[in-house]
Amino acid sequence: MTGLLPMADIEIGHHVQREFLGMTFNIDTIISTIVAGVLVLLLGWWGTRALTKDTSDHVPSKPQILWELVVGEVNKQVNDNLGRVHPYVAPLAISLFFFILFCNWLELLPTELTINGHDVHLLPAPTADTNLTYALAAVTMVSVWTYGIRQKGVKGYFKHFIEPFPVLAPLNVLEELIKPITLALRLFGNIFAGGIMLALIGLIPLYAMWAPNILWKAFDMIIGVIQAFIFALLTVLYFAMAGAGHEEHETHEEYEDEQRRKKAADAAAADEAAPVPAH
Amino acid sequence: MASLAVTPMADNFLVPNGTFFVELLAFALLLFLLAKYVIPPINRAMTARQDAIREQFAELDEAKSEASAAEEEFKAQITDARHEAARIREEAREQGAAIIAEMREQAQAEAARIVEHAHTQIEADRKSAAASLRGEVGTLATTLAGRIVGESLDDEARQSRVVDRFLSELEGAS
Repeated sequence: MTGLLPMADIEIGHHVQREFLGMTFNIDTIISTIVAGVLVLLLGWWGTRALTKDTSDHVPSKPQILWELVVGEVNKQVNDNLGRVHPYVAPLAISLFFFILFCNWLELLPTELTINGHDVHLLPAPTADTNLTYALAAVTMVSVWTYGIRQKGVKGYFKHFIEPFPVLAPLNVLEELIKPITLALRLFGNIFAGGIMLALIGLIPLYAMWAPNILWKAFDMIIGVIQAFIFALLTVLYFAMAGAGHEEHETHEEYEDEQRRKKAADAAAADEAAPVPAH
Repeated sequence: MASLAVTPMADNFLVPNGTFFVELLAFALLLFLLAKYVIPPINRAMTARQDAIREQFAELDEAKSEASAAEEEFKAQITDARHEAARIREEAREQGAAIIAEMREQAQAEAARIVEHAHTQIEADRKSAAASLRGEVGTLATTLAGRIVGESLDDEARQSRVVDRFLSELEGAS
């Protein structure tokens, strides 16, 4: 790792850690998580303050418009995919979006300090720590599985693992396990890479670094929004996939269509299976 | 920094540590707070505004139809009023003509009555004048004749005889 730049100065994935109850805690991640959470709550307080002041006045305040934009969009997505504005899914997606957004944007604050010769990053993006992204993915996927089982029943939910063919069961199980990992690592990788880029840019001499710094931070801001959006959208889509098939037979024609397709699929499976003994 | 391959598991940033549970708790708390205190009022405000807008549009439609109904009514009333006015004018004219005709008739009748009365009066006057003349002319004539003749013609019988003769001659001459 020796090149033109003094790479050794960059500490990748280093955290300020404390031991407690036999576990290791990344103090810097926890602090910036709290900061991001408080910022989201402040935004929420700001957004709801104006509307609770005078409910008869229907002209929304500016932060209220921001909230309504996100809440309305998420509600629409949830309604389109789940058939109704689910009272748990919509708030979950909204919370994920705002929380991840603020976590991502903490990266943009220049909070790297040098105290007593040690480089200290006061507010690193907590989403650049897998602990946070794993936790969010865990919340999402456990919720998705719970939702799927409650929508279709235990039998109905586990039946979809052996569809369309029982032979695909390992792939279906694998897919369910890959979902949370990709959710977590996609977010982590994007923000982590952004942080590394900023650290690399920081090695450029000061008189030249401002241009790439500004460019990258502007780009990183967009990445932050996109990643928060993707995480929230995928959450909604996973819920939709988990609940799919439950309310599908809305009309008789649709049901018959599906039955026909199933029969065709079964026949195809039989055809495929038939030549095997011949070999 | 050492290469990742030889980093012990505990230091590998892809392996979660105790922070995981803190993050879990933190996000659960945030989700709870947002879902309980922020999102419902936002949703309520959106719904309320949508309802208000819908209501306003309904009111607008209602007001519009009311206004057009009022305009229709107004127009109908104007037309009615015009007809009424025309009718009244016509009636007034008829009444005026009738009154004029009546007045004229009355006036004519009055005039005829007055003329008739005058005629009667004149006739009566003439008659009374004639009667008084008849009385006085005799006396006057006899007095005059007596003066001329120099003889009193005061004798009643003669006098009336003379006068009668004179009068009959006068009537015969005229």
